Amino acid sequence: MSTFVEKLRQYRKPGYYDKFDYHWTMTIDLDRCTGCEACMVACQAENNLPIVGEKRFAENREIKWIRIERYWEGEYPDVKMRFIPMLCQHCDDAPCETACPVFATYHNQDGLNTQIYNRCIGTRTCAVYCPYEVRYFNWFTYTWDEPLEQQLNPDVTVREKGVMEKCTFCIQRIRIAKDNAKDDDRRRVRDGEVVPACVQSCPTEALVFGNSNDPEAKVSKMMKNPRGYKVLEELNTTPSIVYLTKVHS
Amino acid sequence: MSKISRRDLLQYIGAGGIGVVGGVLYGESVQQNVELLIPQVVPPEDYSPGVATWYNTVCNQCPAGCGISVRIREGKAKKIEGNPVHPVSQGRTCARGQAGLNALYNPDRIRTPLQNVGQRGSGNFEEISWDEALTTVGSRIGRLKIDNEASRVRLLCGRVRGHLDELFLQFMNLLGSDHYQQYDFTYPSALMAANKMSFGTDVLPYYDIRNAVFLLSFGADYLGTWISPVHHSLAYGHLRQGREGRRGKTIQIEPRMSLSGAAADEWIAARPGTEGLLALGIAHALVSEGHYHGSDRDEWSKALQAYSPSLVSAETEVSEDKILRLAREFGTSTASLAIAGGATAAGTNAVASIVAVNALNYLAGNLSQPGGIIFNPDPAFSATAGSRQAGFQGMLDLIGAMKAGDVDVLLVHDTNPVFALPDNVGFRQAMQNVPLIIALSSFRDETTEMADLILPTSTYLESWGDDVPDPGVGFPVASISQPVVATLYDTLPVGDIVLSLARQIGGELPIHMRWGTMEEFIKERWREEYDQRGSEGEEQEFEAFWQAALEAGVWGQPGAVAGDQPVPLSSSMIASIADPVSRFAGDESDYPFVLHPYLTATFFDGRGANLPWLQEMPDPMTSVVYGSWVELNPVTADELGIREGDVLDVESPAGSVRVPALIFPAIRPGVVAIPVGQGHAAYGRYARDRGVNPIHIVATLIDDQSGDLAWAATRVKLKLTGERLQIIKTDGVTRTLGRQILGPENDHA
Amino acid sequence: MSISVLDALRPGKKPALLGLVLVFGLFVGAWVHGKYFSDRSPIQPIEFSHMIHATDNEIPCQHCHIYADRTPVAGVPSVSKCMGCHNSVPSVREHPEILKLVAYWEKREPIPWIKVHDLPDFVHFTHKRHIRAGLACQECHGPVETMNRITRVATMRMPWCVDCHTERNVEHGRDCWTCHK
Repeated sequence: MSTFVEKLRQYRKPGYYDKFDYHWTMTIDLDRCTGCEACMVACQAENNLPIVGEKRFAENREIKWIRIERYWEGEYPDVKMRFIPMLCQHCDDAPCETACPVFATYHNQDGLNTQIYNRCIGTRTCAVYCPYEVRYFNWFTYTWDEPLEQQLNPDVTVREKGVMEKCTFCIQRIRIAKDNAKDDDRRRVRDGEVVPACVQSCPTEALVFGNSNDPEAKVSKMMKNPRGYKVLEELNTTPSIVYLTKVHS
Repeated sequence: MSKISRRDLLQYIGAGGIGVVGGVLYGESVQQNVELLIPQVVPPEDYSPGVATWYNTVCNQCPAGCGISVRIREGKAKKIEGNPVHPVSQGRTCARGQAGLNALYNPDRIRTPLQNVGQRGSGNFEEISWDEALTTVGSRIGRLKIDNEASRVRLLCGRVRGHLDELFLQFMNLLGSDHYQQYDFTYPSALMAANKMSFGTDVLPYYDIRNAVFLLSFGADYLGTWISPVHHSLAYGHLRQGREGRRGKTIQIEPRMSLSGAAADEWIAARPGTEGLLALGIAHALVSEGHYHGSDRDEWSKALQAYSPSLVSAETEVSEDKILRLAREFGTSTASLAIAGGATAAGTNAVASIVAVNALNYLAGNLSQPGGIIFNPDPAFSATAGSRQAGFQGMLDLIGAMKAGDVDVLLVHDTNPVFALPDNVGFRQAMQNVPLIIALSSFRDETTEMADLILPTSTYLESWGDDVPDPGVGFPVASISQPVVATLYDTLPVGDIVLSLARQIGGELPIHMRWGTMEEFIKERWREEYDQRGSEGEEQEFEAFWQAALEAGVWGQPGAVAGDQPVPLSSSMIASIADPVSRFAGDESDYPFVLHPYLTATFFDGRGANLPWLQEMPDPMTSVVYGSWVELNPVTADELGIREGDVLDVESPAGSVRVPALIFPAIRPGVVAIPVGQGHAAYGRYARDRGVNPIHIVATLIDDQSGDLAWAATRVKLKLTGERLQIIKTDGVTRTLGRQILGPENDHA
Repeated sequence: MSISVLDALRPGKKPALLGLVLVFGLFVGAWVHGKYFSDRSPIQPIEFSHMIHATDNEIPCQHCHIYADRTPVAGVPSVSKCMGCHNSVPSVREHPEILKLVAYWEKREPIPWIKVHDLPDFVHFTHKRHIRAGLACQECHGPVETMNRITRVATMRMPWCVDCHTERNVEHGRDCWTCHK
């Protein structure tokens, strides 16, 4: 047990993940985001998110790995709407990872907070620990009305009742990019080769994704923007998503 | 050894037998399910198992004409993304575009030709064969043609462009009927009419939002629904953060905050119907404050005399200071652009308002300037497709003809007037007078339900076609649409149905329309275009060009010169404006609220309602899923004692709908808004019997100049029914309450 | 009267013998199942012999499993591929198994081979990476070239995968998401 605690401490030291090839990171420019939700449908298509139906929605059983949160500011007539896309922050110090009794969720060497469906026993502790509320539990085994199932992405597992799921940063796309890099005898994937579904679809190019261990990557440059901040930073979760705050004019 | 009795032997054999059977059963129970390994009989050339291939085609979820790439694995479509080399979408897509896969794999698609066997509209259909269906239609139309009665055949379709439009036109011409019309609720008729008046052009110009520095939008939800949302979103991103150190500013003027209003730096809720007047007031201030330096300054100043900011301020309820400030910013920014759409383009003053907005653009000197209005060249082909838009008047004419019994055969394709016209124009009732209605459709929407015969069309992802995006992007562009998967059911692409009908009818039709398939037709037309453009040459060359165009999904001439420069705008245009303020149906004392129906980024004009991903996509502004609602200002709601979920009767002079209330902070008091899109009586399991359709209760006021339906000019009253209904939405707390969510400067308690 | 089960265990007693026969029968049954009905070595629609093809005729694996070094899936040869060769092998043209093949071809139907090496749907596995890493086919599939009927020799279960990844020190080879999807 003590060696495990040792190990955990080591993992949680700041900068631990810098020594690896990748630290997948996303920046979201709220000054570009229009709240159009193209990312949500892109994610649904890419990651086999279920169609839960009206009844389940009413019971708050919906599953959306990325969602747009809306916040009103002020009152009419000086009222403003603020959108913020919310998805798994892939925290370096993720509260969910310490909570899982069966290690179904853990941090991998790429800086991804990952979820192993086969291992998950559905205690839902991680969802309770997550301050961003981006973990979704499968209360039911969802089915697709034939022939909608023909669209299902074969690179992504269809989850069943009783397991937790969440954003993977489209790990299947990372995998394909790494595979291509290996074919070309490259050690690392090039910047821009991995584009998660949400980032790909974004019509205003608000989302940027890349390897922040690569100082030349676009995402590394975006992270240096003075408008950058992390959501609920005071909780010390060290998220891998940097938001760029909206500009007031 | 002792002797084994016969009885014992049987017992041993029995035990052994049970053991063996048990063993086999055990083996069977621990075994995996048998999975088969099915080889190809003959492998296709470009096939690799487990590897995705991408095909480029054109999106058909809205009329913008975005190029899309579809990911195919083992013959199944998996994902739609934007086509990176297409100038409209540039690799991006909206939510609706991606949900196209739900249309392709929709469980409620029509799978075979159907014949109505019950009462019309009852939905009792029986499957029939294509032969039978085509013979029925062919002989009926053929007989009319022989009797010289072909003008009793009418064709009504949605917004069709490209060579499919030509095919339809040719079919009807050869038949001898000039009743080929299109009806699309979202067609910007008023914008076209106003631009024709202002600039003398029939082609939508390119609104260069990308390079604008100051964008003034009068009701146009350019990020959600207005003419080319994906392209505008790309442009918006650039306007905000694409230029180092120079962030563009946007202002939105509309009574109810749309997506574009939420994105804007300033949202101004002028009195509904006075947006055009506000534009004139800004124009007045712009000239009188000396921000316009043209030689015709005096004329403009005279023309705008009546619209002084103080007067306009009183009418529009926008403060004079604000008008002056807007005029100053608009006049002095390096690249200002004003656009108009949405409710501003749907009052009785629609054309007048847009003309006023065009005048603003002229006064800011942005015509044919970067960041302004760039005039598009004539489209590569199908330049006149827009002229076939029936508009509201055309639909009234059609209804009249149907009622008078002048229509024997009505062919309907890809348009849903039963849904997208006010109830009291009686389209559905008039259809009862038509002896034969044939729907060419993929889904059983309200209009298709009324058909006697349904010829099922393949979806756009299974069909050949081509398209010229409208609005264009400032240079000649054409896209090719190709089937990305094999046809799922016993359906035909609509072009192929028309060609089959032509063969069936016979006479000179199949002589002129000699193509076997749509693919053949498109390819021949593209060859002609290719030859005309001066690159006549070897067969080989066209084949290479065709292959390249197919692969890219698009052809364009980025360097080509844009269309003619427009004549300078004359100030006399202002004089043509009789009334810059919209009238409303219904007396204010009886109907105290203005009804603001709005197109949604989710369902557009309702055509997306049958796609489950879109039903499950929270409405961007309210987070509501699966249903309709009526939006009320919190103060108004408070006064009337209405809470969220109270079911209201929203009653207009033309009808009423029953819908739950939603308190919405960003709507002008005195205005109530209902989203368009839900309220289908048919259209498959995901759309049917869900919510209400505000178009049905719109009064039939028309725009003074274009004659189009003024769908934002109806007044309503609200009645509490006492019922309550849960509005299903994903939002919880809609204020940040000082939490660190929106960033250091943006978190307000 | 004493009630005892010990009696039954005493050799020479009939119930014990019966039990023994039963247990023996169980083993026989399981063996028979394994030999003739098992998913490890199911009877295929055509009695295809890798021995004849790979050993006797020295056809390399990837001549037929053409996608193995290019895609995640090794691929079974298409029916047209089988026919492509067999059209020019007159010596076995009348062989009953070849006649079955011809029948499939003439009906333009695929051969419903039974999958022997099957991984669950939640596993990401790519032949390409393993082949390009220099693994021989036999390391996972066993001496296929000696088999008349194809038989699975490895468990194809997670410990077996992980053991190999560990042994060979595969980079991130024990990260769950290397194989899980």
